[in-house]
Amino acid sequence: MVKRAIQSFNNNRALFLMVLPGFLVVLIFHYFPMYGILMAFKNFSPRLGIWNSKWVGLTHFQGFFNNPLSGRLMTNTLLLGIYSLLWSFPAPIILALLFNELRALRYKKLVQTVSYFPYFISVVVVCGMLREMTSREGLFNQITALFGREPKMFLLEPKYFRTIFIASGIWQGVGFGSIIYLAALSGVDPELYDVADIDGAGRFMKMIHISWQAIKPTTIVLLIFNLGGILGTDFQKVLLLYTPDTYSVADVIGTYVYREGLLGGRYESATAIGLFMSAISFVILVLANAISRRLSETSLW
Amino acid sequence: MSTRRRYQQKWHETLFDLFNVLFMAGLLVVIIYPFLHIVSISFSSEDSVVRNTVSFFPRGFNTSNYGYILRDRMVYFGYRNSIFYATGSTVLMLLFTSMMAYPLMIDAFPIKKFLTVYLSITMFFGGGLIPSYVLMDQLGMINTPWVMIIPGCVSAMTVFMFRTFFKNIPAELRESAQLDGAGHMAILFRIVLPLSKALLATFALFNIVGVWNSWFNGLVYLKSEELYPLQLVLRSYLYKLDMTAIMRRAGAQGGGDAFLRNQPVSPKGVQMAMIVVAMFPVMMIYPFFQKYFVKGVMIGAIKG
Repeated sequence: MVKRAIQSFNNNRALFLMVLPGFLVVLIFHYFPMYGILMAFKNFSPRLGIWNSKWVGLTHFQGFFNNPLSGRLMTNTLLLGIYSLLWSFPAPIILALLFNELRALRYKKLVQTVSYFPYFISVVVVCGMLREMTSREGLFNQITALFGREPKMFLLEPKYFRTIFIASGIWQGVGFGSIIYLAALSGVDPELYDVADIDGAGRFMKMIHISWQAIKPTTIVLLIFNLGGILGTDFQKVLLLYTPDTYSVADVIGTYVYREGLLGGRYESATAIGLFMSAISFVILVLANAISRRLSETSLW
Repeated sequence: MSTRRRYQQKWHETLFDLFNVLFMAGLLVVIIYPFLHIVSISFSSEDSVVRNTVSFFPRGFNTSNYGYILRDRMVYFGYRNSIFYATGSTVLMLLFTSMMAYPLMIDAFPIKKFLTVYLSITMFFGGGLIPSYVLMDQLGMINTPWVMIIPGCVSAMTVFMFRTFFKNIPAELRESAQLDGAGHMAILFRIVLPLSKALLATFALFNIVGVWNSWFNGLVYLKSEELYPLQLVLRSYLYKLDMTAIMRRAGAQGGGDAFLRNQPVSPKGVQMAMIVVAMFPVMMIYPFFQKYFVKGVMIGAIKG
């Protein structure tokens, strides 16, 4: 008995040792920064450290709301998120359904393989391509010239920013995004389609009643995730694409935190904004999950 | 299935088929053209790039754009650094993640529940950019290679996916090894991991591509250009290279690089060549990578 206890303790000791490196990495690089959020409530002085810096309460939050830019930042972040979701979320679903209707299997495989590729290209490369294509002599201006339009500097005009941002995002992600729906579709029993044939169901009936039903649960889970991330715009891509000319629509919380907070050295207020936004994001995620649980009995937790 | 199709296709459904095939052809063009265009520009003569006559194929084929890039030390540094960051973080990721995932499937492990919660919390909350920067600063990791390797090497999602995968390995294999007197460490490395090659390969490839493509961490945490990953070198080509920079490199007023003086290049040609250089490794491994990433998405889907 005693022997066994010692044995089990030794075994567990091995297990404790095994989780130790991972535990420490998470503690240091995930939890310590959470502690650093305290900066949002303090006047941070690197000399004193976070704990000993002077407590100023909600001053930095007030400062942000009194900042004339804050309204624009929040609107931009929200609109870019909403439009991205509106366009980028359905695209892979539609593509997967179309793939599913393709009969020529070799052709299907070819298109799939090609469509996945852009996902693995870095955002710097994609933005480099975009800058080339939207330049004065670039592809876009060549196309609009066919319709007799004057050449434009697309990336310098605010009204095109969101379109370019979202369209290039779809270009990059639509193929890869379709994989998960295709996987759900491959789980459908082919006999279901045969039975539907006998019942005289057409292609569209089968698409709606069989294929769409098969991918619905996946769609809902991903929709909740995407809603939760609606404020978490890919600000790194914005950073590569925006210019002071397009700040009016392109400047989002993430880019502002980087530019004014990190480069401008205003750590505390940038941390406060970041905290405020993650709090809202979390509330949205919880709400989306609750709504989905109510409506479709699918939920993340 | 189609051979014993009982349903007679209607004309509008045939039309739909036609539309679908054409739509996919359009998709192919839209995806392939930008790549083709960039490769074509990168191999074209300075003259045709400047006159903007390149579209599908190179015009006045030459390699002076690549000559310009290969004469830049920064590109070699970028390659070296990106390879180091990608391999380093991938090795650590696989090692630490497996070692953390394994105990989480052992029911007798006393802090299993605690660790699950401990990890889950990090999926929903984080410190954000500034607190992370201040932390790296306090740890003295700013402008060191370690800042590109260690911080991101364990993530809750990956640990949970590893655990799910490990759980699907028959428990009898572990138990019989245990009876033979093998410890947990031995079981992980001699039994569990050899049976998880598909998982390890998938995550290794995704991680390598992810690190290869990342640039923002380098921008935030690295100061000296000798440590820059390749994507940051690419970024400085795309955003800073202009005719004056090229002239300065070529040394128009004597001195400088004789090769560059005799081989005219335009900023655009060099930039496109640099894009090709930066995505070359990913293009090369893509065919091998392919069979794994569908699997990778599926492992993710099981958790999701």
